[in-house]
Amino acid sequence: MNVICCLKQVPNTAEVKIDPETNTLIRAGVESITNPYDTVALEAGLIIKDKYGGTVTAISMGPPQAEEILREAIALGADEGILLSDRAFAGADTLATSYTLAKAIQQLERPAPVDLVLCGKQAIDGDTAQVGPGIATRLGYGQFTYVAEIREIDEAKRRITVKRKVEGGFEVIRGPLPAVLTVELDLAKPRRASLPRLIYSLRTGITLWNAETIHGDPQRLGLKGSPTWVKKIFSPPLKQGGPVFDARKEPRRAVEDCLNILLADEMFAWHFLKRWER
Amino acid sequence: MAKNLKGIEVAEIISDKCIGCQICVAECPVGAIEMKGGVACIDPEICIGCGKCFEVCPVEAVRFEKERREDAVTKPEETQKDIYADYRGVAVFIEVWNGGGASVSWELTGKARELAGKLQTKVIGLLAGHEVDGVAGEAIAYGCDEVHIIDDPLLKVYLSRSYGKALSDLCQKVKPEIVLVGATPVGRDLASVVATTIGTGLTADCTGLDIDEEKRLLLMTRPTFGGNIMATIFCEHHRPQMSTVRPKVFALCPRDEGRKGDVHRYPLEPPHGELPEIVEFVRHVADEGTADITRFPALVVAGKGACDPESAPMLQELADVVGGVVACSRPVVEAGFMPYERQVGQTGKTVAPKLYFAIGVSGAVQHLVGMQGSEKIVAVNSDPSAPIFNIATAGILGDYRQVVPLLIEELRKKLKGG
Amino acid sequence: MREQFDVAIVGAGPAGISAAHVLGGRGIKTIVFERGEYPGAKNISGGVLYGHDLARILPDFREKGCPIERNIVESRLWYLSNDGGYSVAFRDRAFCDRLFLNAFTVGRARFDRWFAEQTKEKGILVVCSTVVTDLLRDARGQVIGVMTDRPEGDVKARVVLLADGINSALAAKTGFRPEPNPHDVALAVKDVIELPEELINERFNVETGQGVTTEIIGEITEGMDGVAVIYTNRNSLSVCIGANLSDFVKSRVKPYEMLERLKEHPMVAPLIRGGQSKEYMAHWVAEGGYDSIPGLSGNGYLIAGDSGMLFNALHREGSNMAMTSGRFAAEAIVEAFDKGDFSSNGLAGYLERLDGSYIMEDLKKYRGFGKFRLEHHELFTTLPRLHSFAAREMLTVDGVSKKEKQRIIWKAIRKEISTGKMIRLFRHGWGSIK
Repeated sequence: MNVICCLKQVPNTAEVKIDPETNTLIRAGVESITNPYDTVALEAGLIIKDKYGGTVTAISMGPPQAEEILREAIALGADEGILLSDRAFAGADTLATSYTLAKAIQQLERPAPVDLVLCGKQAIDGDTAQVGPGIATRLGYGQFTYVAEIREIDEAKRRITVKRKVEGGFEVIRGPLPAVLTVELDLAKPRRASLPRLIYSLRTGITLWNAETIHGDPQRLGLKGSPTWVKKIFSPPLKQGGPVFDARKEPRRAVEDCLNILLADEMFAWHFLKRWER
Repeated sequence: MAKNLKGIEVAEIISDKCIGCQICVAECPVGAIEMKGGVACIDPEICIGCGKCFEVCPVEAVRFEKERREDAVTKPEETQKDIYADYRGVAVFIEVWNGGGASVSWELTGKARELAGKLQTKVIGLLAGHEVDGVAGEAIAYGCDEVHIIDDPLLKVYLSRSYGKALSDLCQKVKPEIVLVGATPVGRDLASVVATTIGTGLTADCTGLDIDEEKRLLLMTRPTFGGNIMATIFCEHHRPQMSTVRPKVFALCPRDEGRKGDVHRYPLEPPHGELPEIVEFVRHVADEGTADITRFPALVVAGKGACDPESAPMLQELADVVGGVVACSRPVVEAGFMPYERQVGQTGKTVAPKLYFAIGVSGAVQHLVGMQGSEKIVAVNSDPSAPIFNIATAGILGDYRQVVPLLIEELRKKLKGG
Repeated sequence: MREQFDVAIVGAGPAGISAAHVLGGRGIKTIVFERGEYPGAKNISGGVLYGHDLARILPDFREKGCPIERNIVESRLWYLSNDGGYSVAFRDRAFCDRLFLNAFTVGRARFDRWFAEQTKEKGILVVCSTVVTDLLRDARGQVIGVMTDRPEGDVKARVVLLADGINSALAAKTGFRPEPNPHDVALAVKDVIELPEELINERFNVETGQGVTTEIIGEITEGMDGVAVIYTNRNSLSVCIGANLSDFVKSRVKPYEMLERLKEHPMVAPLIRGGQSKEYMAHWVAEGGYDSIPGLSGNGYLIAGDSGMLFNALHREGSNMAMTSGRFAAEAIVEAFDKGDFSSNGLAGYLERLDGSYIMEDLKKYRGFGKFRLEHHELFTTLPRLHSFAAREMLTVDGVSKKEKQRIIWKAIRKEISTGKMIRLFRHGWGSIK
């Protein structure tokens, strides 16, 4: 099996905030991590490699520092790490990102056909869940989103069977390879790198590809190839809070006062007392 | 205003404000901007003072006061309007769920009516499926002026490729200027396929939509960075402008059986390649553990402060009294006391019940984005500085183990009296 | 399939990385293990480094982009009561030119990362997120490598250098260093408060790039043997307060509350007003001095830096001793390789170097200082209060004659502290640091 795992380096979003005075992002001290969903995608790739043999190639588009996450991928067992880094890629939205990754995957198809492309369901910084389907659409591969389990891979018939989360339950679906899978967190638990692999990863090089290597059309890369633009950013608005009653001394009084405020809205009270009947 | 050695007035980066998005790096026509230490940095000797970086910067981190030179303006307004003149109408993808329209679709038609009003255009329903004429009628009752259908046995079940083909074809035939899709599992899967196929912009999980009437632009606001930050996004040079919207963000469109509308039908052009087959469907058993918390008018939500299995019967009783179910915040799921399906918040479900009891929920931003559409919020917390109090309709400061039984008692009285 | 290294270093802090620099420079195959996600990730410190010790390891540290926050040009000493206190400050032009970077502040998370990064070109491997769980030994007890918590996690090494800090679980496990006595460690908590660079310049009366250290003792530690410091960083202040662990155990004072009270002190509050707390951490400090130092070498291993309790409590010097002890350890290891002898004999150059340097000289000089402070808690209670009382009395203009005021002051002092005790205090104090 020739497996490609797409990884993204993301800021640890819990730490990203907006400075209320200057209305700018506070970045100081925010560390970068591999998108947690992508670590599961990589683990899925490594499990497939353990079971069926073949290779796992980790690719990432990002600034030179993103090399770190590819090194981590190699430490975990990926055979090669390819960093797509070029100023022409900067400012890409999901459409330009899926174009860039798809072009890179086409390059990887040259020596040997690709069987599977594994992506995280979404990235925790953007939460868009668009890049995986975008890659599948561009390459004409099968598309399986929200995969919670890889049931079976039939190498001879080139078929994959997966269980995916859908509204109201799960579906088990079988389709042809090559395919793009976007994976849920509960698909697999990422392993810990062995010490010899970790040492190897520190000694090995990361392959660097630019816009020329992937034969990318400059009009479709980065900001130029991105239809969506950010107009502004701001802190999420908060509703104005109502009164808070102290129940530490007179609990019943506090509860009564609170319910009086709640039911002061007559329409609401009417619905509530009718137990929400239409 | 800084000048370089050639005397050209150049732009400067205000490094404290720069968020390192690299948009300016890509936009600079002469490659004068580089990233240094996570922020952009302009080489004044290369800079030609065109001001493009100033224009594209989303956070106003570029200092550039000079009037933009006329020749730097790329395209005159007029031609752009012409290009998109044949794209008209606000379209909604009607998702079929259990033989009827998914409620998120009717939330979107409601919003679409408002947007179409500002644009003085029509609301279009885009419908794919098999034997869905009933849904088309429903769509008109829920606010569509016209419905475009591709009805084919191949569309009986949702497959990315067949639905992707159908909706892409509909978009290209009908040419709406805006396409709204519910951010359900199906909608998110489908919208990216369609946007990629027709090569337009897509903004996911929007919580706010508005119109820039002058430019006929859709302004799409969405939480990003795990809900810590909101971003407003637009798509100027591509049509249609596409957006997915989470369920329960907008109010349901009032149903009007008397409404009239046109229905247009198109054949399905079969997609290329072999389609996958669904081998099995496992429906969630509708038991306690997997009740769909988004469908209840009242929720009793346990947070970290009430993360104790012993309190479960008490919370359940409160839920029974108010005609709702129990749900929870993320720490409770992580502690293993409730299943993921019950989780409210950025990484769980977005809910908007009429009544929301937050018991021991501190109210981290990630939680708030999943519930701030609730009509009435009652917070019980022992920490006076818990952020949940900032959005609660009313709050009670105290130990929930003491407060909840009193709430149950007082509510029972009210229900009897009413 | 255990890979053989020449040297394994446990801990990528100043001691371990200093050693790695020296070893890398001599072409000795070295691996460094760090338990944090990156060097410095687990680190806090008040953040003062000393140019002299760093330059001996990396002479061109400035050119290589060492992340310096501010060059220290002034040292302040404060002796505080709860309501005020005395301030002594010393500043010298020399610290701006001749002694430039004698001492400077750094953010340790950034500095440690940078310092470790510089070893890469010397061929050093720094392996992060990896905990060394135990040492490998041969039948004779000679240390021959380390075990880590990773799969296939053992590596062999001729010499292991333990530089994993005061918290070293490894030192305790191997028995190389007994668990420190609560009297010998201090618990410190630190808050980093963000303020605009210009505002810090104004509040501390310095130019851009210049900084001030403030060391504080007195009633602020609530009767415990302790000290507080305020260091200026480029656009933040490190406010740190700590006290002897045994005192914390006795007094039940909560360290964070103590820090909050310090921040409200009338001498401190105006300096930090309007600032945003961005980091809040606790840390152990090795305060035991000379008598708490364990055996620092053995067959196949050496101990350097805080894990060897090398810390000058009076002058708050630790990072310099860590760097220099790391360098000494590396130099001794180089000698051992020349001789082909990795026993404690072969590594004896380490202790010789320590004994012949300022490190052991200073630690011996102050060996009684810790005991002195523990025996004279009035240093942190009665004395600062009386001092402040005296000064306040003398400065209050209320029609009472100065002679009468002196009488009142002496009466107050005698009431609280006997003359004999006062004499003992001065004698012991002088004896502990002379």
